[in-house]
Amino acid sequence: MGSMDCNAFFNQLDRWMEGERSAGAQAHLRGCPGCRGIVGDLDGIQQTARSMEAADAAPPERIWIALRAQLEQEGLIHEERHGWAEALRGWFDGVFSAVPRPALAGAYLVALIAVSIALAVPGYRRFNGTQVPTQPLTAQLNTAEQDAISSMMNSDPAVTASLQKNLAIVDNYIALCEKSVQEEPENEVARDYLYEAYQQKADLLAQITERGDDR
Amino acid sequence: MSSQPSLRSQRCWKTSAVLVPGLLLMGASPALADRIERHFKVDARPVVTIHNPTGLVTVRAWTKSEVMVVAKRATDRVDVDTEQIENRVEIVTRQIPDNASPADLRADLEISVPEDAELQIHNDSGGVNVSNVLGDMNVETIAADVALEDAAGYLTVKTVDGSFVCTRCAGRIEASSISGNFRFIDLRSYHVRAQTSEGNISFNGQFLPNGTYELKNYSGIIEVRFSPNDSFDMSATSLKGKVNNEAKLTPSMHHHGFGRFANSLFGTMNTGRAKLDLSSFNGTINILKKD
Repeated sequence: MGSMDCNAFFNQLDRWMEGERSAGAQAHLRGCPGCRGIVGDLDGIQQTARSMEAADAAPPERIWIALRAQLEQEGLIHEERHGWAEALRGWFDGVFSAVPRPALAGAYLVALIAVSIALAVPGYRRFNGTQVPTQPLTAQLNTAEQDAISSMMNSDPAVTASLQKNLAIVDNYIALCEKSVQEEPENEVARDYLYEAYQQKADLLAQITERGDDR
Repeated sequence: MSSQPSLRSQRCWKTSAVLVPGLLLMGASPALADRIERHFKVDARPVVTIHNPTGLVTVRAWTKSEVMVVAKRATDRVDVDTEQIENRVEIVTRQIPDNASPADLRADLEISVPEDAELQIHNDSGGVNVSNVLGDMNVETIAADVALEDAAGYLTVKTVDGSFVCTRCAGRIEASSISGNFRFIDLRSYHVRAQTSEGNISFNGQFLPNGTYELKNYSGIIEVRFSPNDSFDMSATSLKGKVNNEAKLTPSMHHHGFGRFANSLFGTMNTGRAKLDLSSFNGTINILKKD
């Protein structure tokens, strides 16, 4: 059997993640570092989600609802053009279905970030020749940020100031890293820093929300 | 950093938040409530969870099989609840009225624990000082500085902009922050993973055989001090900044460089028994001789 292309591989990515691995997909993955990277990211997300299943924390409805609505409304990727997007989103839902919602808020963001960056950076943009816009992700992060900040209304002003200052720091690094990735699309180190900066922001937002809900 | 310890602590805080007000429930008189002392008999390896958003948390090890809590409240608008569940002692500071100001909510805690105690500490602002505790530790703060002395076990420290100083620590250390500075002094750890975005990282300690030392930031300075007899295999990369090195390294054959995109240095000192990985986005990395 001949090796499939990236788009064909993506069409069955959800099945791959559930263990259904055809010889063609395996052959493609062996020869495609881009798809290997994405599968690696998704594996990491799956493991993270599993590790969260044991947690029994109470749900912060606000951020969950906001993120969920945002995801459903905007979509991370263009469903009308990519059938695999819907399947992948279904896989996400399945993976995170057992995860408690507070963990989910952060984890979902991190997951979206991971896939978004994997898809959006130039090194991965060869699927169907289509670029994946990062605006929906930015919008989700902004919504999450607004929710998180508003949840801190009654908090210690010094703590709130510290959190806002550090959000600005992370935003600045995201901007620097994005610039760097745009200037040097093949630079894996810059891409890793960008991914980590986004991850740090998601983590910080989840932390702020949790603090807000504790009060 | 692994999210597992964080989740574990989060669960504890949530559990703590619904505790039936415990033995330290305050009376109406602020004067009577200024200092409270409670004792809990524990077995080996007790778990002590401390949730004190505002105020200083000081934990010291002692030789008794007992946990002692001394709480000093700023006002009677803050309660300190404690509860013992089997071999776990939970200490939770919480506000009584909703409209209390942050200053009203301050409580300083001094806690004595057996040296093999496991600690889970959450403190937003104030500070965390722990000395001579050898059990695992998970500390999470926002603005509070963290200082650990003579600690061991699996140490995870997460701050937003609080600094972290670890003096004579051993075991495994994982630390993360956004703008906090890290200082590792006379370290004897076999595994260190430290990441801060805007902070500086200073490492002065032993490189143990088979030890791994991973220090990373976005900006700021990473400074590592070495002795002539230290043995490590080093990778130092600053994407947009500088790498300054005083170590005599033999070129490493098994590193693939990022020379095209970054300022990198790879090499082995002596026999390369430890692994040292230093990376920065636009900060400066200094590998310097010990004074």
